[in-house]
Amino acid sequence: MIVEPVKSALRICALNDAAVALGLKAWMPLADARAMHPSLWVEDADPQADRVLLDGVADWCDRYTPLVGLDPADGLFLDVSGCAHLFGGERTLGGDILSRLARQGLSAQIGLADTAGCAWAVARYGKTWLVPKNDTREILLTLPLAALRLDDKIVSALAQAGLKRIADVIDRPRAPLAARFGNGFLRRLDQALGTEGESIQPRLPLPSYVAERRFPDPIGREGDMLATIEQLARELALLLERHDEGARLLQVALFRTDGKVYRLEAGAGEPLRDPGRIKRLFVERLVSVADACDPGFGYDMVRLSALVCEKLDPAQSGLAGEDHQTELAHLVDRLSARFGPRRLTRLVPHDTHIPEFAVAAVPAQLARGVFVTDPVKQDSLAPMRPVRLFAQPERIEAVAEVPDGPPVRFRWRHVLYEVTKAEGSERIAMEWWRDVEGHALTRDYFRVESKEGIRIWLYREGLYGRDMLHKSDWRPSWYVHGLFA
Amino acid sequence: MTAGTPATLYRLRQAVAKIEGQETDLGIGRRLFAFGIRKIDTVLQGGLAPASLHEIAPTALRDLGAAAGFAFALAARAAKGGGDTLCIQTDFTAIESGNIYGPGCDLFGLQTKKLLILKVSRPRDALWAMEEALKCRALASVIAELPHDGSIADLTATRRLTLAAREGGGLGLLFRHRPSSLASSVETRWEVAAAPSLPDRYGGLGRTAFVLSLTKNRHGPADRWPVAWDHHERVFSALSLDMAETAFDRPDRAPHIRAS
Repeated sequence: MIVEPVKSALRICALNDAAVALGLKAWMPLADARAMHPSLWVEDADPQADRVLLDGVADWCDRYTPLVGLDPADGLFLDVSGCAHLFGGERTLGGDILSRLARQGLSAQIGLADTAGCAWAVARYGKTWLVPKNDTREILLTLPLAALRLDDKIVSALAQAGLKRIADVIDRPRAPLAARFGNGFLRRLDQALGTEGESIQPRLPLPSYVAERRFPDPIGREGDMLATIEQLARELALLLERHDEGARLLQVALFRTDGKVYRLEAGAGEPLRDPGRIKRLFVERLVSVADACDPGFGYDMVRLSALVCEKLDPAQSGLAGEDHQTELAHLVDRLSARFGPRRLTRLVPHDTHIPEFAVAAVPAQLARGVFVTDPVKQDSLAPMRPVRLFAQPERIEAVAEVPDGPPVRFRWRHVLYEVTKAEGSERIAMEWWRDVEGHALTRDYFRVESKEGIRIWLYREGLYGRDMLHKSDWRPSWYVHGLFA
Repeated sequence: MTAGTPATLYRLRQAVAKIEGQETDLGIGRRLFAFGIRKIDTVLQGGLAPASLHEIAPTALRDLGAAAGFAFALAARAAKGGGDTLCIQTDFTAIESGNIYGPGCDLFGLQTKKLLILKVSRPRDALWAMEEALKCRALASVIAELPHDGSIADLTATRRLTLAAREGGGLGLLFRHRPSSLASSVETRWEVAAAPSLPDRYGGLGRTAFVLSLTKNRHGPADRWPVAWDHHERVFSALSLDMAETAFDRPDRAPHIRAS
């Protein structure tokens, strides 16, 4: 028995068959129930866990239709129009859902009807779960008003007016009902009847193209999975080719026999439909998630879907001999699939003086735009900017001859460097719109070369004069920011 | 229509590209990357061989920047014929020697827009990625940076990489953070130290200078030279010895290491 606090009293919100047999009811205060039966097993409600379970079931329901919507806190909508015949008709489909869920230890009530509202009603209040085509109205007539997904307040208000069943209101003049109980009530009625449309909000983006395969005997070996993916990729390629499209984002969904669903996504820098290449992408993906993807007793369904597609005109191959660019694009896709798209990057310059923001690492698959480079002005033979930049500038001890000048010696990573040549200072102040809190200090950069020839980019933070006015014990801090060649 | 087998078209395209003076990526990776310094090129019998693997390490830890720069300089020369450069770093090496910095690379002669950067978490992944990338013909060079002495790149691993490089035709550069004494199947092995640059007219920093020690060479003897890198023209030039003398201010080492 599960309880949750409702209006400062613990009330029963869910109970099992044994508890029902004892005469307990939902929403009864726990104190009353305890008075009737002192030895009750009571647990606190855990809405979070319920939600996770519902999500898991929704994931699993994906095997029947890609259009699965959540109906919190305890329901799911499946749009099975056009799917039912794949499972041998609506009756078999419903039976299949119930028996498979029962095998997972879940008891469920289902309803299948022409409208979402009617299905909701019969699942909760109906005697039969399957509403034949065109029988929506007759079935609804027999059900109580609560079956219309109404607020408890409206239901009790209607009950006070003597209206208890849908049959009581269905033929009444609408204007007085709307005036008294609000438009929401009539909308629910119309939705259940199908005179007003209602669309199911899908949980996941709807794929443009899908290919899937079911197995009477679950498969678990990686080789089998990859072979399946390749077959599916071939089917998908035909679909894509017919519409002159290529996939930019692909997803493989692996449905484990016990209801768990794994989804692996792989992106492509260029629209893609070559089955061999699609397979290679998932080879890398499977390697990188090997530990997180436990086949358990095997997968009984594999689905390959193209989530994002782009126009891909048929290209004539072989004109330029070997096409290096496609080869590169494929390498980029494979490396991104294996290590993650954010790990393989191209550097795109940004127009700012702040060294760490002057360049952005953009995923290589997305960096197809133009690169505008405005190189830093050169003032000497040596490059103005280092080839390596530390993500976190490293604090050093440095001694400068004059307060504003470059250091004469400094210690970095336990090594003492004697500066023989120095260039600078190059003063870089934080842009005011980045410096929200106003703490960023101006930096004076120096390019220095040590006695041994080590070239380092370092800076002093803060300005003499302005920044030291506030604090008497202010001392400049020095940082190493980058390495020159 | 009978004209236009792929091979003919390929040759014609190359010819057109030549006439138009465009850089073409149709035939990269088939010639030697000469240093442009006679002494070095003689020892290497013409220059660094493409489609092969080379090893770079800093002489001492403080020379990391110089070694990274030398790798970039070689990559910049390899990229002259077209093709991209892939740099593979493990997360640890990125902390140790810093992230690859775009504006700096541009100034150093390696075009940022031709640069791909891959970050991996384990050295093993770096080797795997390098092998895959070397097989790709669109890459002019692949640089893999390994932490410490990169002991994961042993004889077997370097053999695999050599085979991959032969297949793809790119230049493979294995950048270890410490010189390694492991046997490997690399073509050449370099130890790089920073050298004081020749000051410009105003006493400021001059062109980037290195002392290159060739410690393993399949085609000739080992040796060492001070060189300077002109990032503008993307060429190496010899540095006069008396200026570089100061660079040898370090513990003595065996003077002549012959190639095995």
